[in-house]
Amino acid sequence: MSSASNDRPNPAFYALLGTLIFMAIGPVVLMFVNSFKLDIDIISGTSGLFFLPTIQNYEAALCDVLWYEPEHLDYCAIRFGGAFKNSIIIALISTVLTLVIGCMAAYGITRFRFMGRDTVSFATLAVRMVPPAVLLVPVFGLWNNTFCLDRDGMIGGFIRDTFGGRGDVCLAGTHSGIILIYVAMNLPFVIWILQSFIVQVPRSLEEAARVDGANPFQVFYMVVLPLIKPGLAAAAIFTFRIAWNEYLLASALADRDTKTVPILIVNNTSEFNIEWGVIMATGMLLAIPPIIFTLIASKQIITGMTAGAVKG
Amino acid sequence: MLPVTLISINNGPNAAMPRIQLANLTKSYGDVEVLHGIDLEMADTEFTVLVGPSGCGKSTTLRMIAGLETVTSGEIYMDDQRISHLEPKDRDLAMVFQDYALYPHMNVARNMSFALRLEKRPKAEINAKVAEVAEMLGLTEYLLRKPAELSGGQRQRVAMGRALTRDSATFLFDEPLSNLDAKLRGQMRAELAIMRQKVRKNMIYVTHDQIEAMTLADRIVVMHSGHIQQQGTPQELFMRPVNKFVAGFLGSPPMNFLKAVLESEGGQTVAAGEGFRIALPAELADRARGFVGKEVFFGIRPSDLDFSPDGAEGHCIDLRVAVSEYIGAQSVLICDCAGESVTVEVKSETPIALGETLRFTVRDDGIHLFDCITEGAI
Ligand SMILES: Nc1ncnc2c1ncn2[C@@H]1O[C@H](COP(=O)(O)OP(=O)(O)OP(=O)(O)O)[C@@H](O)[C@H]1O
Ligand SMILES: [Mg+2]
Repeated sequence: MSSASNDRPNPAFYALLGTLIFMAIGPVVLMFVNSFKLDIDIISGTSGLFFLPTIQNYEAALCDVLWYEPEHLDYCAIRFGGAFKNSIIIALISTVLTLVIGCMAAYGITRFRFMGRDTVSFATLAVRMVPPAVLLVPVFGLWNNTFCLDRDGMIGGFIRDTFGGRGDVCLAGTHSGIILIYVAMNLPFVIWILQSFIVQVPRSLEEAARVDGANPFQVFYMVVLPLIKPGLAAAAIFTFRIAWNEYLLASALADRDTKTVPILIVNNTSEFNIEWGVIMATGMLLAIPPIIFTLIASKQIITGMTAGAVKG
Repeated sequence: MLPVTLISINNGPNAAMPRIQLANLTKSYGDVEVLHGIDLEMADTEFTVLVGPSGCGKSTTLRMIAGLETVTSGEIYMDDQRISHLEPKDRDLAMVFQDYALYPHMNVARNMSFALRLEKRPKAEINAKVAEVAEMLGLTEYLLRKPAELSGGQRQRVAMGRALTRDSATFLFDEPLSNLDAKLRGQMRAELAIMRQKVRKNMIYVTHDQIEAMTLADRIVVMHSGHIQQQGTPQELFMRPVNKFVAGFLGSPPMNFLKAVLESEGGQTVAAGEGFRIALPAELADRARGFVGKEVFFGIRPSDLDFSPDGAEGHCIDLRVAVSEYIGAQSVLICDCAGESVTVEVKSETPIALGETLRFTVRDDGIHLFDCITEGAI
């Protein structure tokens, strides 16, 4: 039997725990509370926890999707709804694309022997070492000048005739442009994560499937993919989060119609008066999708997927 | 007890299955050659057993037939068609893997029906087939479990069932019973032997258990370090092993080998070793004529020694009993013959006492002689 002093942990332990919890949750709570305050209350800092909650900030943030017109607003300055839609489109599509390409690449690199395999494997990681800021200028240039459809060319002409406008289309300012760079940015890490999951799938499972009459694609989709689901989920959480939060590249490549939520928030602060309440409200809204996404995806992270497959 | 139900794989009574032939097959991993020119021809619907010690290349041979390993040189034929370039799925075979290789994300029923579902067979047919095979293997109550929720023996039976649900022309088994307990293994062996008579399919079966090999095989192929040592019916291999390795490998307890020198003595040839002198039967003496005066291995199976206190000189050997292992009806005696150990199988009621020196008659047709250098049979 352990003595009494061993049963009760050191009070310092609780103190440390409390500090850590406060550091983790504190800012979120602060943001949550402030998002229900008027700007005057936030800046004066007098009211503390005692204030009259208001949803004015949320109304201001969501003014472009509300079905009624909030009376305290005379003009809808923040178009959160549009930016939110852009963020969702970009984050989801880039995540799906990254996973699809990533799992096939990882499978190819781990299971097939071909010339330059090790080089490819290393190169994917090396790309990862380049900071996005370095990519910014060349990508900006390429996306704006090189990857364009000529306004006098056939497709450009067609677009001009049909939809009007100048007719030339560049990658910059389109959803595709941002999605493309996010996929390129996230692929190396996803390939790298998935490789380690694929190695764990016993080879004899694939052999059994081949003998059972599966072609290479069936082996991949019916045997390998279900077994690396935890890896896919981890990779999905990772990619989605990066795509959702990314600021630097999106700020350079997005235009008015394709800007994402982080850019919207930052743009808002650089106006003449900083609307703290609205920023807090958008911040809260911004946090919701990744939380939902992570909750769903993490359900797939189960250990021991290959238990019982092979002897020993 | 497993119900002895039979699989009704529906092919006509005389449907011909492809003849599988291996021609000078070799396999190298890098610079290391692990199979050195395997030549083997299997008649159609034959039950062939590959047997040999661990690491001799049995699995490799089987996997090459299945198309899971590339062929380094040589060729595999099915009915005179070269098949070594074909994908496994185009070879019309089913396989039981040594390590089970069950799909962990599918339950037992889906594991067993995987191949049928790939072939897009009708649902009713698939269900009927799975139910039938599960019944035979005693797996009915586990159909909805995942492999992780099964014991080793149950997993092995699922692996077996996955192959048996298929209608393939050729079945490959890689040590399918190695993880079962003795009783279940016996039942499964009997089950396989019965199935064997009903199902006219090519079966190639790898094992290192010689009882399985002897009881199931139409043809046994004994392998040793990448070479085929001998092939033939179980009786042929047991009665006339071509070399010391095969003689020592088949039969349990294994054959005894004693060093002896052949001597001519009054028109008879005698094998003389330390502690024994045995006259050879005329036919064997004839064959061994060239070895007179040379050293040979004198081989005798434990079951070919008969306890006979008053046996005739020249046909008997005197052994001091060191250990007696009671097995049941039979006892195995480990005896000492001038420093060499000799095992003898006797009826348990035979009156023996440890430390006693007893006389055993050597059956004439149980004598095997092997060249000391080449280890080939004389
Ligand atoms: N991938 C490989 N690379 C190199 N050597 C290998 C490889 N696979 C098998 N070998 C070698 O080939 C030889 C034959 O192996 P194999 O698996 O056929 O043996 P086995 O007869 O099935 O033995 P067991 O009864 O233990 O299963 C062994 O000596 C093994 O070391
Ligand atoms: Mg093996």
